Amino acid sequence: MRGTKRDWKPLIYVGLTLSSLIVIIPILWMFSTSIKTLEETFSIPPRWIPLSPTLDNYINIWKNYPLARYFFNSIFVVSVSTIISLAFSCLAGYGVSRFRFAGKGAFLTFLLATQMFPSIMLLIPYFKLMRTFGLINTYTGLILVYISFTIPFCSWMMLGYFEGIPKELDDAALIDGCNRLRTFLSIILPLTLPGLVATAIYSFLVGWNEYMFALVLTTTTEMKTVAVGIGELIGQYRIAWNDMMTVSILASIPLAIVFLFLQKYLINSLTAGAVKQ
Amino acid sequence: MGERLRTANRRELGGYLFIFPAFLVMLMLVIYPLIYGGYISLFNTNLMARWNLVGLKYYLRILTDSVFWSKIRITISFTFWTVLGHFILGMVLALMLNVKIPGRAVFRAILLTPWLFPEVVVALVWKWLYNPMYGLINHFLVQLHVIAAPISWLGSPSAALPAVIIAAIWKGYPLIMVMLLAGLQAIPQELYEAAQIDGASPIQAFRYITLPGLRYVLVVSLILDTVWWFKHFTIIWVLTQGGPVDATNVISIDIYKTAFEYFRFGEAASMAVIVFFICFLFGYGYRRMLGDEGN
Repeated sequence: MRGTKRDWKPLIYVGLTLSSLIVIIPILWMFSTSIKTLEETFSIPPRWIPLSPTLDNYINIWKNYPLARYFFNSIFVVSVSTIISLAFSCLAGYGVSRFRFAGKGAFLTFLLATQMFPSIMLLIPYFKLMRTFGLINTYTGLILVYISFTIPFCSWMMLGYFEGIPKELDDAALIDGCNRLRTFLSIILPLTLPGLVATAIYSFLVGWNEYMFALVLTTTTEMKTVAVGIGELIGQYRIAWNDMMTVSILASIPLAIVFLFLQKYLINSLTAGAVKQ
Repeated sequence: MGERLRTANRRELGGYLFIFPAFLVMLMLVIYPLIYGGYISLFNTNLMARWNLVGLKYYLRILTDSVFWSKIRITISFTFWTVLGHFILGMVLALMLNVKIPGRAVFRAILLTPWLFPEVVVALVWKWLYNPMYGLINHFLVQLHVIAAPISWLGSPSAALPAVIIAAIWKGYPLIMVMLLAGLQAIPQELYEAAQIDGASPIQAFRYITLPGLRYVLVVSLILDTVWWFKHFTIIWVLTQGGPVDATNVISIDIYKTAFEYFRFGEAASMAVIVFFICFLFGYGYRRMLGDEGN
């Protein structure tokens, strides 16, 4: 029986290597383009290693496009919405895991159901409401959109983590004279740190990636996020592919960093819900 | 008795206090806008001064319009092939990564990477790969003598949809792969050992142990993936903006254009409501098909 298993291995390596190539080639091509001069991006046949590799693009794009502004906007909006979303989700997750109350199941279903709505249904009403309240081209507008996207799933994620912490700890703290909020803040919350981290990453990923709402709710260059900003480089400037690929790499770096360090937490908690049922 | 009632009430109240912020946010930012979107769909409006009540006129018009249905067809075809690609790739890769071989962690990390690139970036990279003159894909295919001369992949109506689907598969399969991998690892190893003793072939083991073991994960990820890609916007918008000649004009792009290019907000809102019902039907249909475990 062990023999049959070993026979599969070469085939598995071939399969995994081929698939990895399909993943890596576009990424390497993106990097290769980003260190080319504009002339060389148009060389036929295409060259993998540029004749005169240069890091100029990485310096010049900051001068040529309002990139610093886009990055600031994204980082600010996504960070604030992550913090708010985390705070509300922790409270909700803790509340659901530690209290019994009428409508608890309905509340959880309600959160899940909001995830299933096609977000495009919200696009037009948001546009109108944001205009009515003067929130077009404001950070507040985008933050509101992003917390509404992330709170449901983050609450479910946090619920999962709180459920994993024995309720006896709460009881002990309550007997020792802590009130509920203090028990939550100083005893239980610190124990869910991995969960907090995973939930924060999830929320960050969602906001950093979001494109459609930012496209509609921001119209001025000063307020655009990275996603919208780089999407628009294609239309507004002549297509300098080397610049474009450089910007693409920079826009992916925050996610890559976050992910590299914390992928274990994120994958565990994203899949936990699906597997545990 | 009174004492117990009071503590019971305090417990309830505490729960409400903790969930209140999240509940309020969802009420204000999701439920209210959803209802308001339904309200807008009943008007011929520019969202400013003009608000002419038209009732269900848009719904009737859209549902009897063959152009709308052709866009739904494009959307279904985009979603179908994208989700199919995600599941075939995701399943094959998950099965391979589930075997304990040296270097597995490295392969897993590499195969996950498309997931951590923002959608806009994925779209830009593929736009560059598909470039009619200098794109890598044309270069490869010409070298391999598959095609004689470079093709404008995103510029030709017959090639654009497959091209967009390939980019969407590349971006989206890792999530399915990860979910299925987690599902596979939750299946007790003893089941396979028992099957081997009973003389089951690998295919039988897959059919009678793996698939049933993955059922719940499959249902959940199938529903989510279908709904996500049915309403997908970013990659298609950046790659083709719905063109050429409407070849990739999926419903979300059509809604966006109807609202923000032609300023027919009421009509766009009613299309969005229809999309909502279609997504709802998908979820319902899958659950019926695959059994009712998914609730």
